[in-house]
Amino acid sequence: MGLRWYHFALWGAFIVGLALLPELVSKGTLRTIIFANYLAIFAISWDVLSGRTGYISFGHPFLIGIGAYTTAILTKRFGVPVEVSIPIAVLTTMAGGLIVLLPALRVKGSYFAMITLAFMELIYQLVQVVRPDLTGGTRGMSGVPTLTRGAVNGFYLSAFLMVSVALTMWLLMRTRLGTALSAVGMNEESVRGSGLSATRLKMVAFLLSAAIAGLGGAFYIHYLGTIAPRALFEINFAFTIIVAALIGGASTIIGPVIGAFFLTFLLEYLRPYLPGAERYLIYGGVALLLYMYQPRGIYEVIRQGWARVRGLA
Amino acid sequence: MTQALSITNLVKRFGGLTATDDLSFAIEDGESVGLIGPNGAGKTTVFSQIMGEHRQTSGNIHLYGEEISSLTTAARIRRGVSRTYQVPRPFSEMSVAENIRVGLMPDNIWRMIVEGPNTERELELALSVGFAESDLQRTPAELSMGDLRKLEMARTMATGPKVMLLDEVFAGLTVGEIAQIGDLIQQMRGDGMTFLIVSHDLKALEPLVDRAIAINYGAMIAEGTFTEVIDNEAVRASYLGGVA
Repeated sequence: MGLRWYHFALWGAFIVGLALLPELVSKGTLRTIIFANYLAIFAISWDVLSGRTGYISFGHPFLIGIGAYTTAILTKRFGVPVEVSIPIAVLTTMAGGLIVLLPALRVKGSYFAMITLAFMELIYQLVQVVRPDLTGGTRGMSGVPTLTRGAVNGFYLSAFLMVSVALTMWLLMRTRLGTALSAVGMNEESVRGSGLSATRLKMVAFLLSAAIAGLGGAFYIHYLGTIAPRALFEINFAFTIIVAALIGGASTIIGPVIGAFFLTFLLEYLRPYLPGAERYLIYGGVALLLYMYQPRGIYEVIRQGWARVRGLA
Repeated sequence: MTQALSITNLVKRFGGLTATDDLSFAIEDGESVGLIGPNGAGKTTVFSQIMGEHRQTSGNIHLYGEEISSLTTAARIRRGVSRTYQVPRPFSEMSVAENIRVGLMPDNIWRMIVEGPNTERELELALSVGFAESDLQRTPAELSMGDLRKLEMARTMATGPKVMLLDEVFAGLTVGEIAQIGDLIQQMRGDGMTFLIVSHDLKALEPLVDRAIAINYGAMIAEGTFTEVIDNEAVRASYLGGVA
């Protein structure tokens, strides 16, 4: 996998830094970071699918929602313990990932993106009308059991989850599987022409992405304790995930984590000055400027800076 | 001698157009055959059908005695037939080494993860097509057409074929590069590789093939030694645009 000393050093520093964070920042900031951690998980999930294979998902909340609703319904309506409900939620979301895979076998590009958007809209409508006694209908659900109490514990759980997902995916994408998935994104015909089953590779990407989305969605709902369909299946939420992955640096796993933190804090610090939706105008502008300067995202800016430092050293 | 590749009564229709018209031929193991014909004669379509990128309307394709028509492209490649394309199709954001790596991969997710890349074999393949070791980290955007063709050859060779289909390997190459690729093909012939080669550069093609097949409008118009085929009346007429 070509691991170097500085990989260990950087991951070590990152983990230690996260562990010390509750000592250094306020509870309010910690709550913001919790959101950033979950956004990072969703952005990694998007990155594994769309960043690698080029199948752009506009409807990632579809997958996140399946995980969230599955565990919420199981725990709240049927009293299933979370140790059981979360794995079931992950598996259910993976089944959902296979549904998203179906159109990807036939269509590409913007057509695929539109279909994923339709999936999100479809599930948004469905959860409101199908068995509202289970889903809570339009109003959603509250009183979903929470796993932690207080910001500090919530932070540690979300940080542990995010680091586990990020590290696992980072290592996995450094193997030949990562190369093969990138190859699918660059030229599917050439992947077939290299004797590899592009369909199977896509299936792996969709399943991995769905598993992460389901895991993140389930834990997120057990952190929030409430589920609101209008906030979950929302185009702005879908775009926030995509923009986090893109401005951080798609197809890098680390980039989406950076992007998620950057975006969350940008929006949070703008809140006192711009309380309404006009904040999104600013973040759109920042994203645009960044693309013009470095289309490969913040990760690439840091990487080049690091290369320069090593060149001088 | 065993037959490496045989095509029997192959027909391919696209709507009203018959791109392959009842074509039959066979290639012995270790043989090198030139497939010639004017533009639009249907040479590339024959390749596409052998590789399973297009399904034939009717007819059979056998690889070492096995009917492969129902197999996917990837499965056919694992059986030992591989092709290059007229327009090279590299993985644009990968290095030369990574491009070759994809060709070397087993079609097995688990093995992709647990086994590291075979960097020695990557280098060996890159060197064999005429790259220097320093070229391994270059990306396709930095390569000339000749280098892209070499990369395509290397990636195709990486899949471990027994039969190679080469589509216009000399197009856009300099004289030096043509000689280099020609030498490589000769060397691989010596090692027992079976070839079916499409080329408009008849002068470059001649020394590389044991015999030739000429097609026009998807149908065979001549078969024999290279000289016999290019001296054939019908072949000459087809190239000059006359009525065969």
